[in-house]
Amino acid sequence: MSVQPGKTIQLSPTYRLQWEQAQNMFVLLYPEGLVELNQSSAEILKLCKDDNTLSDIVSVLEQKFSSTGLEPDIINFLNTALDNGWITQ
Amino acid sequence: MAGSPNKPSPPRWLLAELTYACPLQCPYCSNPLNYASIDKELSTDDWKRVLKQSREMGAVQLGFSGGEPLTRKDLTELVSYSHDLGYYTNLITSGYNMDEAKILELKKAGLDHIQVSIQASSKELNDFIAGTKSFEHKKTVARLIKKHGYPMVLCVVLHRENIHQMKEILEMAIELGADFVELANTQYYGWAHHNRDQLMPTQQQLNDAEVIANEYQVSQKGKMKIYYVVPDYYEGRPKACMNGWGTTFLTIAPDGLALPCHSARQLPNFDCPSVNDFSIQEIWNESKAFNYFRGDAWMKEPCRSCKDKDKDFGGCHCQAFLLTGDAHNADPACNLSPQHHTITDAIASAEQPTEQALLFRNSKNSKLLKN
Repeated sequence: MSVQPGKTIQLSPTYRLQWEQAQNMFVLLYPEGLVELNQSSAEILKLCKDDNTLSDIVSVLEQKFSSTGLEPDIINFLNTALDNGWITQ
Repeated sequence: MAGSPNKPSPPRWLLAELTYACPLQCPYCSNPLNYASIDKELSTDDWKRVLKQSREMGAVQLGFSGGEPLTRKDLTELVSYSHDLGYYTNLITSGYNMDEAKILELKKAGLDHIQVSIQASSKELNDFIAGTKSFEHKKTVARLIKKHGYPMVLCVVLHRENIHQMKEILEMAIELGADFVELANTQYYGWAHHNRDQLMPTQQQLNDAEVIANEYQVSQKGKMKIYYVVPDYYEGRPKACMNGWGTTFLTIAPDGLALPCHSARQLPNFDCPSVNDFSIQEIWNESKAFNYFRGDAWMKEPCRSCKDKDKDFGGCHCQAFLLTGDAHNADPACNLSPQHHTITDAIASAEQPTEQALLFRNSKNSKLLKN
């Protein structure tokens, strides 16, 4: 599956994003499962809410990390997340 | 308690086996054969201490299991307490005696997810395997779980008697609105090991079932996730048991024994520590039992020089003990194990039907086996 540019992106209702102090990282929780997230994955998933579309997520992150050209990496991760059912559109 | 030179990774998963009491009698139950003689249960306050200490260590996934956890009067209180601690709370239940009021009460307490087990896709077979009339009620419970907005895992343990129902089982899962289906080929520990000759499917049965499971995995993509738990006996490769001993999983048995794997209490002279005597931190970091199979210093050949030793950690130690008498041996499910014939012999004899009846899991049989 590929992320569609014009559509809003949300975390799937069966998944929960949570900060874990003991492990110093964000984790994605779902029935009987747990994904440990690196910082960039967590930053992207945190923005999968409200009315955010792909371009919103790219611009927020490029601004936050003062960089450009993040879109291909973000698309790659979002496609994986869609395939795993972590996010919906 | 023996110390460990390196600090182990924190526990991420806590399995709270609240009780061995269960209204069902499934002949593949993973509880110990002698469960009926283990009648002491931790108190509510004991469990709260365990939950709090484990959470502080890093545990975040929490399974309430058993036995049947619904038989504990304090289940809702423990769910609520765990929710407040920040756990993702899973209830692993047969659904027996569950009603809409309980489903709502648990929701209010913060329960995140319910896994319901069904034994087969037909009433006759479900009720036979469960040893209890429960099929229609389980389906009603599954629908109520979805009605009240829980994600639901439907768990079906597969064996010789029901594996031919694969298609019907998956159709039932779709009809009940399951979000996830766990098709769990029987793992042969505890009661399942005792009943192994009657439970093991033939190779042909397995091949047929796997084709259907794969078809549904494709056709249900994006709608219902289907986990097919591979039967290690037939794979030739051992499973990476518990994601590595003492790396991820912590099980607390009903009497407070802390186990690196829920079968570990059967290992002789293993001396698993109890939460009645030690804190979770002491148990996880310092106990002999949890350190025993960490790393690879314990390994014998062929594991020690194996290229896969960091991938499967030598497989399952409880299975090595059950089938070879020594938990240090390579898991005989591995085709490199010198004792792999214990597995291939079992598969060969599964081709012939056995006359022996299934031994159902109940207190009477548990006491009989003990003597």
